[in-house]
Amino acid sequence: MRFLWISLRKDWSRVRRDPFSLATSLAIPLILAVMMSLVFGRGQAAPQGRLLVADEDSSVASNLLLGVFNRDPLDKMLLVEKVAQADGRARINGGDGSALLIIPAGFQEAFLRNRPFQLLLFTNPSQRILPQIVQESLSIMVDGAFYVEHVAGDQLRAFDTRNAPADELIASVSVSINHLVTSLRRYLYPLAMDLETEVVAEPGESKSFAAMFLPSMIFMGLLMVANSLAFDIWKERLMGTLRRLAVSPAPLGAFLAGRLIFVATVFALVALVGLEASRAIAGVPVPNLPAAAMWLTFAGCALFLMMLVVALAASTARAASVMGNLIVFPLAMIGGCFFPFEWMPAWMARIGRLTPNGWAITQFQAILSGDIDARKLAVAVAGLTVVSAVMFIVALRRLRSGFLV
Amino acid sequence: MIEVAQLRKSFGDLTAVDGVSFTAARGEIFGLLGPNGAGKTTIISCISGLLTPSSGHVRVDGHDAVRDGPASRRVLGVVPQEISLYEDLSAVENLAYWGGAQGMRQPALGERMRKVLELTGLEDRTREPVKRFSGGMKRRLNFACGIIHQPKVLLLDEPTVGVDPQSRVRLLDLVRAQARDGACVLYTTHYMAEAESLCDRLAIVDHGRIIAAGTLVELRAMLAERDLLRLSGSFQAEAAKAALAHIDGIEVLQADAELLILALPEASRRLPAIFAALAAAGSEVRGTTLTQPSLESLFIKLTGKELRE
Repeated sequence: MRFLWISLRKDWSRVRRDPFSLATSLAIPLILAVMMSLVFGRGQAAPQGRLLVADEDSSVASNLLLGVFNRDPLDKMLLVEKVAQADGRARINGGDGSALLIIPAGFQEAFLRNRPFQLLLFTNPSQRILPQIVQESLSIMVDGAFYVEHVAGDQLRAFDTRNAPADELIASVSVSINHLVTSLRRYLYPLAMDLETEVVAEPGESKSFAAMFLPSMIFMGLLMVANSLAFDIWKERLMGTLRRLAVSPAPLGAFLAGRLIFVATVFALVALVGLEASRAIAGVPVPNLPAAAMWLTFAGCALFLMMLVVALAASTARAASVMGNLIVFPLAMIGGCFFPFEWMPAWMARIGRLTPNGWAITQFQAILSGDIDARKLAVAVAGLTVVSAVMFIVALRRLRSGFLV
Repeated sequence: MIEVAQLRKSFGDLTAVDGVSFTAARGEIFGLLGPNGAGKTTIISCISGLLTPSSGHVRVDGHDAVRDGPASRRVLGVVPQEISLYEDLSAVENLAYWGGAQGMRQPALGERMRKVLELTGLEDRTREPVKRFSGGMKRRLNFACGIIHQPKVLLLDEPTVGVDPQSRVRLLDLVRAQARDGACVLYTTHYMAEAESLCDRLAIVDHGRIIAAGTLVELRAMLAERDLLRLSGSFQAEAAKAALAHIDGIEVLQADAELLILALPEASRRLPAIFAALAAAGSEVRGTTLTQPSLESLFIKLTGKELRE
């Protein structure tokens, strides 16, 4: 037991003397996190595009049409910019903007006279979602305009003048609209149709990019550090210190337990610093900080033991390094460490959640969102502990027999 | 203190140690002399418990190295062939760690650390990372870590490989001091001079077997105080052998087209006669090396090859 602490102290002294070997393991996720933060800032996860509009009618109707894009929720996704038609065409051809809408001269008159009109929409083929949103929105508005014209065409046509209407006209139209509303009262009060809506997915508050990437980046860090710390067993073997230890009375179990405690303290530190930095720098809210940090520590230790078993199974240091990388990178890719599961195709996300890191990320997300209660968390921790204990025993057996010879 | 009986260790088809037996007592330096790959390190590994013997028995201070490994390891100090240190850590941190691994506690550990640092001449560099040490200093610290707990039995596996002459002398003095203090020292080397100057008793190992064992005097007696004469040149082996047979006391150890190895008393005085006999047999001598009786000449006599081949 005493040697466990001696071993722990030795490992920390080594890190203190050479912190860069550990820091380099965190470099990849750290660089990615900083880049993501710089690119996407603290904004919401909704994408934002630019809608170029060449309004050659400049009428009340064209302004009403464009007004729709300035209302929630489209205003969060699209920035409307008025341009001349030639300039707009040049820009959309150059890929600048999500779409170009051309409202031709005579649009209002055609609408009020119930004559055919044509709105021209050019979309940017390099974008998929935003041009489609513009197209769908326009289609809905054209349908709406058709019904408005049918119901209140006569009243609207009264305003078909470029000059200010006379008082008599306003009075006449008001009476006409009142009659129209009265005639529609039986449909409107109460509404003849009752529209039931069902929210399929909980919209909640959309996550920022930083929040979406937080679990991925943290787990990528854990995976990299776990791999690096596990490979250290080969450094010890090559240095000869492991053989020397094996011929001393100190038990190898205490050495391994000391190493595991050292690894746990490293992961606890990485977790606390990572979570606090995410909150302070990227503005990511971290509820349940103690539970989140504890989970990361447990998960990190399990990943370390998994990578340790892999390293110990290798016949040479080079083989251990290659095997470690062959396992870590695919696991990181599919297990949600490079890209959040939300960005993956459903089938891939399903597989990814079954990987050790994918499962741990899913639990971590549940802890962050408060979707996991204490009992479920305890079960998950117990499961992780059992798996870790098995891997500890496997690693110890390999250390005792074969690895040192 | 060390009893090795019919020790055998195989790795698959390869038998690295084949029926080795010897004993070493308290206060004695027992040498295992042999070329690289002779099986010396395997013998040390079996004694230290790192390897389990295929058959045979090893006892250290009365404890069976296999069945009572922890008790056996408690009295052992091992100085491995490779430098087995944490190079990021300082000399003090290394000593504290290895002392801790041997179950030592403060303040005895601190006191002993001061003593071994002084013994090894490292007292001025105690806080410096080992990676900044010279090769000789690392070797001395490697040795210090092996004796930090004052072991009853000390296993030294070629501890002077790659060491500068000054550090070598210092290390050999340290080994003698350990034996004087009552430790049983098992010392492996392929340096004859080291073995001759250091060891009380020796076993010569080749191909996993002990081919000769005894004190230095006993081993020299096996050569019958004869010199070893190596002649290089162009020889007709059978004719040369026949010509030399007429000279009294000559034993031909090896004869081939380019090399003749002869054992004979007072070789320098009899060189003219040998040259004349060989010339008459149609041989041409281009080079001559005369070696006084030594472990090397014994090794050559026993195996027909040089120790460092």
